[in-house]
Amino acid sequence: MRLLLIEDDEILGEGLRDYLSADGHRVDWCRSLREVASYRGEPYDALLVDWQLPDGSGLDWLSARRATGDLTPALMLTARDLLSDRVRGLDSGADDYLVKPFAPEELAARLRAICRRAAGMGGARRRYGQVEVDLAARSVHLAGARVELTGREWAILEALILRAGRIVPKQDLERLVLGFDAEWASNAVEVHVAGLRRKLGRAIVETLRGLGYRIGESA
Amino acid sequence: MKRRLPSIRKRLTRALVVWSILWGVAVSAAVWLAVRQEVDELLDDTLQASAGVLSGPLTNQAGANQETGGQTPGPIAHSPAPSGRFAWQVVQYAPHGQARVVLSAPLAPASALRDTPSSGFADVPGWRVFGLPLANDSRMLYVAQSHEERREAQLDVAFSASMATLAIALLAHLWLRARARHELQPLERLAQRLATHDPVNASATLGSAERTELQPVHAAIDGLTERLAHRLAQERAFTAHAAHALRTPLAGIDAQLAVALRECPPQLQPRLQRVRTAAGRLQRVVTALLTLFRSASETRPQPLDLAALVARLPIEGLACEMADGLVVTADADLLAAALLNLFDNALRHGATRVHLSTPRANVLRVVDDGPGLNHERRARLQSALTTQTYEGQTGLGLMLTDLIARAHGGALLLPEVDQGFAAELHLAPEHAIT
Repeated sequence: MRLLLIEDDEILGEGLRDYLSADGHRVDWCRSLREVASYRGEPYDALLVDWQLPDGSGLDWLSARRATGDLTPALMLTARDLLSDRVRGLDSGADDYLVKPFAPEELAARLRAICRRAAGMGGARRRYGQVEVDLAARSVHLAGARVELTGREWAILEALILRAGRIVPKQDLERLVLGFDAEWASNAVEVHVAGLRRKLGRAIVETLRGLGYRIGESA
Repeated sequence: MKRRLPSIRKRLTRALVVWSILWGVAVSAAVWLAVRQEVDELLDDTLQASAGVLSGPLTNQAGANQETGGQTPGPIAHSPAPSGRFAWQVVQYAPHGQARVVLSAPLAPASALRDTPSSGFADVPGWRVFGLPLANDSRMLYVAQSHEERREAQLDVAFSASMATLAIALLAHLWLRARARHELQPLERLAQRLATHDPVNASATLGSAERTELQPVHAAIDGLTERLAHRLAQERAFTAHAAHALRTPLAGIDAQLAVALRECPPQLQPRLQRVRTAAGRLQRVVTALLTLFRSASETRPQPLDLAALVARLPIEGLACEMADGLVVTADADLLAAALLNLFDNALRHGATRVHLSTPRANVLRVVDDGPGLNHERRARLQSALTTQTYEGQTGLGLMLTDLIARAHGGALLLPEVDQGFAAELHLAPEHAIT
């Protein structure tokens, strides 16, 4: 998943970025709202927002973003633990609320949960024909046999599953999977999609010529 | 045992009873003395007046009787003392001083009331006598009234006066008692308003004083409320600041350790894992402390499913057993912090399992399978908890757990058990614990 992390604390921000990156996510880490502006228009699977930032309130920023119709799942990270704060945080557009200190394992689990909810998925497991994907365990089985995917292949598969039923343009997929400043070949997405099809069958990813890609529900 | 405080109402009532009795007795005594003198004078006047009235007709009759040989005359027509309250005699004195009764009323004694002729008032045994000489004669008219009757008259008057005085004292007592009760009601209303007064809510006021004497009390309470609100605001600001200053680095330390654990060589992993466990314990203590700071004013008790609550707690290495459907009413965050501290204690003392139960309503008992404490150590700990003298006596975990129980209006008890260590969180107010 491509994530936007807004956290001004260096130790926590760096720790979360590295932890989530090690989990296979692409994390854009901003230390202030001013820095966030440079990522405007980028597609994200989820937002991780600290409430108190040096140049403003993360809650107000999220609220303003929601007002524009943006429905990207958002997880509020904050030291405020009062009931009134939690209620205000959730009412302002956060999909979940995590009080510091927290274990990064819990953060990752909640992140997966809000993304699944946003995708209309009840659990972490999805089945596409003979292909079974476990988003929590980051595992894929074909006809009961475990299939090893590369990081990029997994990222493309996860991005398509979280947008099940929708067409994902190639450019969005590139930015979601490969990152804002990564260097990539122009056919990188096609290469990884081909890899997925080779390992999981052709039907796992549909190509809609000129439009983009979609997870193959009939795989 | 709670010392019984003196009651203003009872003390006032007692004072009024004593005052009423003393007042009644004093007034009665004064009335008795005044009435005795006045009644004496009144009766004497009556004796004198009776003598005057009788002297006219008796002068003639006594003379006639003397002529008829000293026979007692028949009933006197238009007797001046028909009630029989007075007795009278006409006594004839011989030249050598011998006295002879020549006329007398039926109630009069047979012998002469006076042996020698005597005018005016005198007291003789059993009688009060008024003597009056009859005109141009050696005879005397004595009108008398028995001492017994005079005393009876005095007692009647004194008794009536005393009864009236006591009745007035009783009525005054009842009225003053009702008045005292009425005047103390503003204090009761003040207490009721204070019971629901929220010093943190700036818009909540006690209202104006109902009596001049209560104005200083209102002013003192308002001052106290203001200082308390200011102090609470400061503490809240500190807690909010401390929360941010402490929670964020703790989360950062844990995130860094989680990454380091993934990236480090295998031989370093146990060491890093121990560091992370210690960091987790620190997190729990800090969280409990921060939660406790705001607990006094913001405890939010609600029915909690214990199994669901415990399932959310990180208690690796400790098996937790409990019956299904255990429910207690408590603040979820505070109870979680208390349980984490108890579990942490159990782990550090070598326990591998804990058993949760609710022996009574809103009492949560946690028993572990560790080595437990001997009787003396347990008694010392309990004493420290009861008297809140934690320093040097209890660990931070038990202190926090006790403070959390107290924040719910209860206390932490350490009952004796055959095996392991037991802690009972009484979450209900003391009066509700049986």
